[in-house]
Amino acid sequence: MEQSGEQQRSDEDYGYGLFPKRKEAKYKKGSVGESLFTFHNKCQLMLHFALETSPYAKFLLGVMKQSGCTAYQDRHFSCEDCDGTVSGGFDAATSQIVLCQNNVHRQSHMNRVVTHELIHAFDHCRAHVDWFNNLKHLACSEIRAANLSGDCSFGNELSRFNFGFKRHHQECVRDRALRSVLAVRKVTPEEAKKVVDEVFDSCFNDLAPFSRIPHSKNDVKFAFRDFQNRDRYYGNL
Amino acid sequence: MTAAAGAAVAWRPPRSCEDYWSEWKHCKSLWNRFHHYYAFGTSLTCRQWKADYEACREWEKESSAEAKELLQQSERARVAEQNKFAPVWQLRQKPPDDWYLPLDHSKPQDS
Repeated sequence: MEQSGEQQRSDEDYGYGLFPKRKEAKYKKGSVGESLFTFHNKCQLMLHFALETSPYAKFLLGVMKQSGCTAYQDRHFSCEDCDGTVSGGFDAATSQIVLCQNNVHRQSHMNRVVTHELIHAFDHCRAHVDWFNNLKHLACSEIRAANLSGDCSFGNELSRFNFGFKRHHQECVRDRALRSVLAVRKVTPEEAKKVVDEVFDSCFNDLAPFSRIPHSKNDVKFAFRDFQNRDRYYGNL
Repeated sequence: MTAAAGAAVAWRPPRSCEDYWSEWKHCKSLWNRFHHYYAFGTSLTCRQWKADYEACREWEKESSAEAKELLQQSERARVAEQNKFAPVWQLRQKPPDDWYLPLDHSKPQDS
């Protein structure tokens, strides 16, 4: 798979087209007469609730804080209008998680999107991820985010009318990672599939900071316990 | 002042015995078996957690070298299993320099 350095595709926008507000001088204050129940306000409230109560989000925030990347709601998160059906994104140029206020309307969805994007932020914090020039890196983070956020839970797949069972989680992760890569990069489906396949084994099995694929809040509790215990664990191997 | 820095810390099992017990119980649960099959398409064997729990208790009672060896081997195998694929990227030594940089609110488009 050809990498950077070579002639870049002149029409590549790295997915920023899905987030039109990113390019504007966008931080206009709302008018005094603005309704209390705008999508923006609702998004901010749901985001705050997710950060305070979702075990997945709290765990990721805690681990990132330990690693030197404390995430603040007013600096590292932004509720914006987005194009299409995208729910959120991670902007590595500004270290910001974007939540699509016009496409996320339920708390459970917000919890899952926040978790998904926090995994990208966690990867950005702990590794030299070349988001813009290395498709393998992008694909890897998308595989991990689909795997560990609950995107591919049995219940979520059922709600999408995907009725697979045996090993279906992996098929879902592959499929969603592929879609995410195609959404933000101007590559052919064949190119995207090739890259996802190349990195799948490594990235599907990279469960950090979780010690197992979290299928429930209980799994997150176990992961948190393992994280707290890491010094003892590695010191006595 | 005596230098205590070089003193070896006494070995103890990588996890507490309660942790081995709860891992074994969790492993055997229907919920976990269901999701393991959903993720991996294989049946789960939980015997190793039970063996580790018993070795841990053995260590607590007798401080036996055999129990210590069993536990270390078991956990090293778990770590090896997690690390069997080469990572795609290089890990950082420190967080990104621009993580906390303030956003430029005043910057208009294309400046």
